[in-house]
Amino acid sequence: MGVIKVPLPPQDTNVFQAAWGYITTILKGLFVTKMILVKQLFKLEKTETIEWPEEPADYGPRFKGKHFLTKRDDGNVRCTACFLCATACPADCIYIEAGEHKSKTIEKYPVRFEIDILRCVFCGFCEEACPVDAIRLGPEYIMLPADGTKWVYTKEYLVARTNLNGGIQSIKDEEEKHPEVTSLTHESKHHRSLVKHGKH
Amino acid sequence: MGTVETKEEVTFKLNGIDVTVPKGTTVMAAAKREKVAIPHFCWHPGLSVAGVCRFCMVKVKGRPKLEISCNLEATPGMEVDTVSDEVKDSHKWALEFHLANHPLDCPICDQAGECGLQKYYMSVGKYNSQMTEEKVLKPKALDVGDKLVLDTERCILCSRCVRFENEVTKTGGLGIFDRGDRAIIGTYGDEKITHNYQENLVDICPVGAFTSKEFRFKQRVWFLKEKSSICPGCSTGCAVSIHAKPEMETYFRVKPRYDKKVNGHWMCDKGREILSGLDKKERLENSYLQDQDEFSTCERPDMINHLNSLLSRFRGKKISLLVSAQYTNEEYERLFSFFVEKMGVRSIFQWRSKEEKLNDFDGILLRGDRNPNTRGLLDALRKFHILKEVENEFEACLTSSSDLIFAFSPLLSSSFSSFEEDLARLSKLKSCVCLFTTSYQARDYIGFNSLIPLVSFPEKTGHYTNYKGEKRELEGAYPSFIHEGFDVCELVNELDSNIKASLRA
Amino acid sequence: MAEHKILTEFEGIKDSRSLKTYLKHGGYQALAKAFQKKPEEIVALVKESGLRGRGGAGFPTGLKWSFIPAHIKERYLLCNNDEGEPGTFKDRYILELSPHMLIEGMIISAFAIGAHKAYIYTRCEFYEEIKWMNEAIDEAYKAGYLGKNILGSGFDFDLDHYIGAGAYICGEETGLISSLEGKKGQPKVKPPFPAVAGYLGKPTIVNNTETLAVVPWIVNHGASAYKAIGTEKSAGTKLFCISGPVKKPGVYEVPLGYPLKDFIEKEAGGLRDGVELKGVIPGGLSAPVLLPEEVEKVTLDYESMASFKSMLGSGAIIVIPKTQCMVELLKVTLDFYHHESCGQCTPCREGTGWLANIMKTVMQAKAKEDCYDKMYEVASHMEGRTICALSDAAAMPTKAIITKFKSELLNYLRRG
Repeated sequence: MGVIKVPLPPQDTNVFQAAWGYITTILKGLFVTKMILVKQLFKLEKTETIEWPEEPADYGPRFKGKHFLTKRDDGNVRCTACFLCATACPADCIYIEAGEHKSKTIEKYPVRFEIDILRCVFCGFCEEACPVDAIRLGPEYIMLPADGTKWVYTKEYLVARTNLNGGIQSIKDEEEKHPEVTSLTHESKHHRSLVKHGKH
Repeated sequence: MGTVETKEEVTFKLNGIDVTVPKGTTVMAAAKREKVAIPHFCWHPGLSVAGVCRFCMVKVKGRPKLEISCNLEATPGMEVDTVSDEVKDSHKWALEFHLANHPLDCPICDQAGECGLQKYYMSVGKYNSQMTEEKVLKPKALDVGDKLVLDTERCILCSRCVRFENEVTKTGGLGIFDRGDRAIIGTYGDEKITHNYQENLVDICPVGAFTSKEFRFKQRVWFLKEKSSICPGCSTGCAVSIHAKPEMETYFRVKPRYDKKVNGHWMCDKGREILSGLDKKERLENSYLQDQDEFSTCERPDMINHLNSLLSRFRGKKISLLVSAQYTNEEYERLFSFFVEKMGVRSIFQWRSKEEKLNDFDGILLRGDRNPNTRGLLDALRKFHILKEVENEFEACLTSSSDLIFAFSPLLSSSFSSFEEDLARLSKLKSCVCLFTTSYQARDYIGFNSLIPLVSFPEKTGHYTNYKGEKRELEGAYPSFIHEGFDVCELVNELDSNIKASLRA
Repeated sequence: MAEHKILTEFEGIKDSRSLKTYLKHGGYQALAKAFQKKPEEIVALVKESGLRGRGGAGFPTGLKWSFIPAHIKERYLLCNNDEGEPGTFKDRYILELSPHMLIEGMIISAFAIGAHKAYIYTRCEFYEEIKWMNEAIDEAYKAGYLGKNILGSGFDFDLDHYIGAGAYICGEETGLISSLEGKKGQPKVKPPFPAVAGYLGKPTIVNNTETLAVVPWIVNHGASAYKAIGTEKSAGTKLFCISGPVKKPGVYEVPLGYPLKDFIEKEAGGLRDGVELKGVIPGGLSAPVLLPEEVEKVTLDYESMASFKSMLGSGAIIVIPKTQCMVELLKVTLDFYHHESCGQCTPCREGTGWLANIMKTVMQAKAKEDCYDKMYEVASHMEGRTICALSDAAAMPTKAIITKFKSELLNYLRRG
């Protein structure tokens, strides 16, 4: 941006001199804007304006926009339904219904995970509260109802809407993984069977 | 165990303050009474002392080592300290040891929010863990009973559950197997825990090792509100608290409260089923009037007018009350003061379950009389000079050829095995029957003159008198989500004032 | 030390285990003498003799006996023959030499405390000793030393031999009682002490084999004769078992207060040729290790050991040669306690596992240099925090090795 030197308001000059000062200043200003117009008209200078929405415009990845849920590396939703996001949410817009997962190493998962996007204030507390990097606020800023009408985003929409290109992997997956321990140690098995048969 | 009943007393110093307790009291019990918090896991006032968690360390002046307060009998002149740096350090380290092999399960653990480990981490812990080695992994999510899920990895081996099985239910279903840090809690072989007191294991477990199948993953505990009530499941009348989330209009669970004379620390699993009929969709939500072989809803004032008109229409004819023993003392008194004293009704029938075995008792808490207030009903009747014995008078009511019957149905239809059959028979009577109920089922029986929705026990205050005459209060009432529901006392008050008005007119 | 052969009297005698040999050498005479006295007199006699428990803690035996509440008549005597402390093999030596000495001692002790039923608790690994003991018990029953109305005194006494499964923790007295009751071998919380409520909730005295076996000698020779041996506070003789690179490892009986240096040099014949001393564990694996300069000064009695921050324990002297890697020693020690911890008390259950786990990382060269400080801290917080002394037993040697051999431990890490 250019800097225009504006003469000090005349102190001890007469009215005409003062008026002249104002007029020259205005003309100088007009000249600057008109020159830019001319330059851009003849493509001598690049315009900063984007033809949105015809032209796409993206925010950086840190932008706290539309929420999404991450995935485990096996494709399951990473969320463990701990309700911490729902607890932290000041707008009370997250609804979770937890259920028992068939895999014992996962145990708990959200049967339903819904965000009422009309209520959301985009504070990002849910993202902060999440212990497993399951929910993030992404760079998408266009809040449209899912499927055209639904302002309450469902789990399916949050995990795998088209913009997510098949889902995003959680960074906290491998370290949190718990291998399934089914069998007991030999000693305790033996002990149990002894007790069962009344030998001990 | 906590206190022993003796006259003798001892005075000792607890953190410099003189405390006088009965002889034989442990320092832990005394501290609890004095509201001095000593962290503990294995000690439970209802169980024997195990002394294994080594968390409740205190310093006794003049003794070289720290000692556990749960097994330390207070002696005269003893100077106990629970706040010095040495003691605090021991608490911190005891917690560190407890957490050394504890999995980071809090996000999926139902106990989170009421977990001893979390609670004590905030009060005595707050350290950076030095445990960087590999943790011991143990089996998770084991099915060990009808109502229980066991996670042996979360278990801190406090042995409360083992002692409960040995001392309270005397079933001995649980044991600790293997040794050292490989030790795990488990049932013998493939056996399952099947007794009627399983969920107490969930209550006494200080961590999330035992979780209830019923409540599992339903709700996080910090969302729940808690109100004191009395279990209406049987005539023992255990002190309970009902946990609910009023915004969701749902009751989630029932937990026992301590009542020395009634239930101690426990309650049975049958008692935890009392919430089963309280779902909004199982409740009668509106007043219904019978209108040419079908029910039509009506507003509250209309129903009161309807009942009033019935009362004046049947004035001088035979009016009967059929009452189940599941209402509060206050409700009975109000009911009888109106019907017996004002209206001169003398035929009052007890409505009881057909197949009840009155004298059944499981030896711990559950009684055959599945009504919470049998005694309260008889006491209230006696006040109005109607002397009765406990007896099912349903048949007598049917054959009494009454013209108008006000039937106060059981609030807990689950403890009435013959409820539906009774409803069917009642609805076929020639007399005019007004049914006061909470159950949605009543709508299936067209014969009733009217159906009046009532609020249920978590939504009212009052008193129950249990089998041995202990009078206990239902202290906390949730706002009823059956907005059209009537409170019996209020309803009778309205009828009463209307009658007065009509007499004046 | 030929002048004091109390427990090793039958050393070198042929067929020493038989009743015949025992009687020939004046056996069961103490029993006859004891029956002429009142039980209280025997308790007083043992108290006066200054006899202390030989199992490890060194608690005065007579005092322990006097704790029994007078109003409970059903009492038990248990003989702790479950010697599990690594390095200890003294009790089995008594059984090998003369099981009747133990039987006689038990009858007298039972008479003194008023018990009519006693058990010997032996670990199952002692195959031969179990056989010999059983034979001796049978002999004693046949000869009328056990059973009803012993020697016409009107005193009934039954002795049973119970074979444990060999858990270290069952050598702890309340652990032994639990095991004998048919439960999992786990120590019980004290108080109540076993002398008040022990086996089956009745007053119970648990004594070490060596302690009980010495009682007949005290009755025969009087308290003052016993007190004259050893030091003022540690009276009498004791069996010491020495293992490691010495010329004559084995069991030797010496009076308490005997210098450790002399014991190694004279009794055990000194170190093997070409072996340099690195340290000595004086009282079984759980005793803190002593450095060579400490070995020069220390004497074999409870007080002297305590002044060097170690303990006499069960009298198992383990000699460590210069070539022994202390990291490996520490690892073996901690693996042992990790395996043997009963898992009841949290500091011990988690602590022993934790320490063993850290040692595992050390061996795998994955540990950081501050790991020893961490181990020291963990061990310090395990000490004195549990029901029984297993936690202390794991913590004490750990702390001693870390403080005394820190540079070697660190070198191990740096070498990788």
